[in-house]
Amino acid sequence: MAQHNLSTVVSFEVARTLGRKRFWLITLFVPVAIAIVIALIVLSNSSAGSSAAAQSDTELSFTYSDASGYIDPAIAGAFGGTAVTDDATAIAAVRTGTTEAHFVFAADPTTTATAVYGADLGLFANSTYGQVATQLLVASSQAKIGDPTLAALAQGNVPVTSTTFVNGEVNPGFGGILPPLIFLVLFFLTFVLLSNQMLTVTLEEKENRVTEMILTTVNPTALIGGKIIALFTVGLVQMFCFALPLLIGYVFFRTALSLPEIDLAGLSVDPWRMVIGALLALGGFALFTGTLVAIGSVMPTAKDAGNLFAGLMILMFVPLYVVSLILSDPHGIVVQIFTYFPYSAPVTAMIRNAVGSLSGGEAAIVIAVLFLLSAVVLRLAVRLFRYGSIQYTSKVSLKTVLSASK
Amino acid sequence: MDFGGTTVVNDLSFDVQRGETFGFLGSNGSGKTTTLRALLGIYKPTAGVLHIDGRPFTPETGPRLGYLPEERGLYKKESVIDVMTYFGRLKGLSRRASAEWSVNYLERVGLGDKARTRVEKLSGGEQQKVQLGVTIMNDPELLILDEPTKGFDPVNRRLLMDIIEEQKTNGATVLMVTHQMEEVERLCDRVILLKDGQAEAYGTIPEVQNQYGGTMIRLVYSGEVPPSPHYEISTLTRNYAELTLADSVDEAKILRDLVTAGVLVRSFTTSKLSLEEIFVQVYGEQTMKAGV
Repeated sequence: MAQHNLSTVVSFEVARTLGRKRFWLITLFVPVAIAIVIALIVLSNSSAGSSAAAQSDTELSFTYSDASGYIDPAIAGAFGGTAVTDDATAIAAVRTGTTEAHFVFAADPTTTATAVYGADLGLFANSTYGQVATQLLVASSQAKIGDPTLAALAQGNVPVTSTTFVNGEVNPGFGGILPPLIFLVLFFLTFVLLSNQMLTVTLEEKENRVTEMILTTVNPTALIGGKIIALFTVGLVQMFCFALPLLIGYVFFRTALSLPEIDLAGLSVDPWRMVIGALLALGGFALFTGTLVAIGSVMPTAKDAGNLFAGLMILMFVPLYVVSLILSDPHGIVVQIFTYFPYSAPVTAMIRNAVGSLSGGEAAIVIAVLFLLSAVVLRLAVRLFRYGSIQYTSKVSLKTVLSASK
Repeated sequence: MDFGGTTVVNDLSFDVQRGETFGFLGSNGSGKTTTLRALLGIYKPTAGVLHIDGRPFTPETGPRLGYLPEERGLYKKESVIDVMTYFGRLKGLSRRASAEWSVNYLERVGLGDKARTRVEKLSGGEQQKVQLGVTIMNDPELLILDEPTKGFDPVNRRLLMDIIEEQKTNGATVLMVTHQMEEVERLCDRVILLKDGQAEAYGTIPEVQNQYGGTMIRLVYSGEVPPSPHYEISTLTRNYAELTLADSVDEAKILRDLVTAGVLVRSFTTSKLSLEEIFVQVYGEQTMKAGV
């Protein structure tokens, strides 16, 4: 019967949430917005591509003066340029619209700016003049060097690969940090989406005076457990709705969106770190969920619960403010406090685990603390719900709850 | 049952027989609702247990239970049929059986066309009917009603009484908390009076009446009723008086004394104290002090 009631609670809670228009309005707002942004980018890129093609068809015609002697007249001619000596006349011709542009290359272009004059093409398109002048200078310089490799080297176009070693093993670098950070992202995403609902998960029973009737048919542990499972299910639906347009955008419009191709081969997955990351996320989730449910059970209204909720969220996010300290001095006193204080531990430990500064012993202690405290807090939450949710208009005191039952 | 060092219910034990209607009486704050919550497992008692058929009660394994709490409500944003089906399933019915039962009940109470309406759109009286339906789903063997008529309009009060009668006829055991003494005298087989968390009186209604001296004389007269150590004048108007007799006083002696004192007695009837009178006698002083 208890198992049956758990599944009944889950199905009721999921169905009632998914059946609400408000839920879908909020949930679909994000993917619709993403889809609109993708559509705008694709359309904009397509339009920009057409204008670029149109621009390439209509070659820029300009005059230039060269005091440096670096400009190759043949290359300049290919760019659409004609050499002149009288800058004043050339500028006057641009001013009257006789010519499109005039470039003045100084004797030393590295110290004196190249001056460009042109007919106004609009705020963004005006940069074309500078780009053409620069390209002309670069192309002429490369031609003077004569060797394309030397020219590339002179520009600093040098690919470098680096390999470092930790305890005799190759350090995977960012490729090794990213996979365990997935759990940190999931942890935050879960709370951004669900924390408010966790807080109010029992408030509806309280505000509608349903608690007493429901507690004679289902025990509070099954009721709260069912509600949390339902929240998770609803959260998965939301995540799927959010991810779908991103996935479609990546698969079908990657080129149009100028998205880089993800090279999974560059990632290095350390199973040990992944397990620790998963346990830290799970323990942190259990602890924060239990605490939010407990707060919701004690407080008479959502508004009252909101104040404590804000404090809890600060504790969750505060390690991000000292992330540079976590990376640079993981064994310092501040980071150690953040690592072992239960409400800042999940985020701190997950970051340290990802960058490899969390030892096995430290991880074991943090995980044990998180799970033990979660069990205590969840038990307390159930007890608070049992007593607090039928204190319909007042806040139940911890002393009363703890002394009221065995 | 303790709360923060305060004992709310103490050393309370009583039996409710199968099929009977049992009245659970007491003034405000005497511990009635707390006792019910402890019995039903909503509160965990400091000590004690509810046995049903000799087995400890739990919500999951107990008998079919219908509970109408004093503080009552329903999920507001869902449709009537969804809420009723949910409670039916929690009470052990299948989804289909639960939905069918709900539709039949709604038809019976004139809400057949409101099945798909959100609960918050119903009137207060209609919500009360739904609440009653949820209480009696799955034909409860044990019906626990805490102030059942509180807040009910006369139509729903009548519906509730019909339902209680019907459930009794079907063999249900009913335990009810109420301040309506006429309901208790009409419906209850036995009662318990709770005072400061302890049983003040317990038994059938005649037994409780006997426990409190139990006899009252209603007198229609001319003249002046003299004071006497054998009775207390509880009501006195121009030609009518109610005299509450002290224990073991012979009614015939009172009549002789009155006649001797020159009272012209036109009518002299004796009766037991009503439950309301006993209630006032037991809780009167406490209630007055509390300013209720």
